[in-house]
Amino acid sequence: MLTKRQNLMEAIRGGNPDRFVNQYEFLEIILEAPLRTRPKPGEIITNEWGITFNWPKDQLGPFPVHDDEHIVLKDITKWRDVVSAPSVEFSDESWAPAIEHAKAVDRKDKFVTAFFASGTFEMTHMLMGMEAAMMNLYEEPEYMHELIDYLTEYEIRYARQIIDRIQPDAVFHHDDWGGQIASFMSPEMFEEFYLEPYKKAYGFWKDNGVELIVHHSDSYAANLVPYMIDMGIDIWQGVMTTNNTPELIREYGGQISFMGEIDSGVVDCKDWKPEIIADHVENACRRCGKHYFIPCLTQGLNVSSFPGVYEAVSEAIDGMSRKTF
Amino acid sequence: MSKIEEVKSNVEAGKTKLISGLVQEALDEGYAANDILQAMIDGMGTVGDKFSAGTIFVPEMLIAAKAMSLGVDVLKPHLAKETSISLGTCIIGTVQGDLHDIGKNLVTMMLESAGFTMVDLGVDVPAEKFIQAVKENENVKLVACSGLLSTTMPAMQATVEALKESGLSGFKVIVGGAPVTQEFADKIGADAYAPDAGSAAVKARELVNSL
Repeated sequence: MLTKRQNLMEAIRGGNPDRFVNQYEFLEIILEAPLRTRPKPGEIITNEWGITFNWPKDQLGPFPVHDDEHIVLKDITKWRDVVSAPSVEFSDESWAPAIEHAKAVDRKDKFVTAFFASGTFEMTHMLMGMEAAMMNLYEEPEYMHELIDYLTEYEIRYARQIIDRIQPDAVFHHDDWGGQIASFMSPEMFEEFYLEPYKKAYGFWKDNGVELIVHHSDSYAANLVPYMIDMGIDIWQGVMTTNNTPELIREYGGQISFMGEIDSGVVDCKDWKPEIIADHVENACRRCGKHYFIPCLTQGLNVSSFPGVYEAVSEAIDGMSRKTF
Repeated sequence: MSKIEEVKSNVEAGKTKLISGLVQEALDEGYAANDILQAMIDGMGTVGDKFSAGTIFVPEMLIAAKAMSLGVDVLKPHLAKETSISLGTCIIGTVQGDLHDIGKNLVTMMLESAGFTMVDLGVDVPAEKFIQAVKENENVKLVACSGLLSTTMPAMQATVEALKESGLSGFKVIVGGAPVTQEFADKIGADAYAPDAGSAAVKARELVNSL
């Protein structure tokens, strides 16, 4: 039986996996690594970038607060006066739990994985609001390029630190680039603003020992896949059924792999049922096959919003492995 | 190309730096303010259709809406308070328990560009607040409910039911958001469903014309 790591590599190289890769099993994500303050349910916090987040208890996640009082960047032309990247230097004490976790991982079995969020695009709209982040691409493109470069440099500084501390084998990187049925921006605009910065950031991770880039965008983004490949993404996690994943596998398999196809918005609900989850998993596995595909909830971590859903998906994938391999 | 056609095409292209001057030039050439406004509304209709078809994206729609808004600012002193183009008032909000606002904001811009007077209640809006807004605002023709979470679909259902059972009349209810489908809209008794901001404007116009 292949280790989880070996099985993943067989699946994404078109080799001989001996079972479906089961969701996030191949990634040991080191969430203890210091990065920035995050709110807990029921909290309102302001993080190190000055962005205020509100996480009402009854919500599934936090939201940036973009009213006049709280929005960080009201005028992109003044970004240098307003936006200040936090330090990426953390004490040995802060790093200790992450280092301990990483040391405990059997790297033959799993990838020690750095977690990075929020990505460059998300940062622009968290700082100034979505509408401004979009319109400024047209109205103030030079300033947007400058800000994106600044955010990219921050990521690289952080990457240098975490690589030095835990020597990750993989990075799991969040940046949502679309909604359910369309990318937020056109492929041409994405190329103009985000391709080179991401090539630089992901290039840095890879040049410094990171073997696997796993990018999370739980959205439609099929039209951006050529750029994902160009910037060095190995696995797109969060691919929704709206992308026609089988077609993407046919067209791009071997250059990039696809992780998802089990839409969290559909199956991860209060009244979930194991048999409905099993149907979705079976459809995903049958449609997409065993190469260049990892059946997974589209959620951006190895959890579900409702207790038991993640585990039920894993169980159903194991069942499909028994049937298929 | 006539000046009024130029105004229309510059709204479509989102030429925010040019549009005010072009609208002023159209006025100076003697075009009626209402005709210029109609040209801009038509331009935004084209933008909405292109968005629905996937040939343009969020930035293009936003920048066109901004151009339209700047053009309307120039027109305002020349328009009668209630123009024949006005489609009435639309109350819009994201339903209770849901804090997502991007989709709602896009729909707001598109409906405003189509000729509605928008009253935006924000996010996490309880059913009673929608009803109160219908009572408090004049000429309400449409209520638009947005929701992005499957977990808040029951709140959307409760909102639509409360609006229908409120005894208030003279308006239609449209719903939308990622988990919402035509089937769900039918099930909860909404008058219409729109899958995106472009088609929301088209549907909204149809609904109001059917009143």
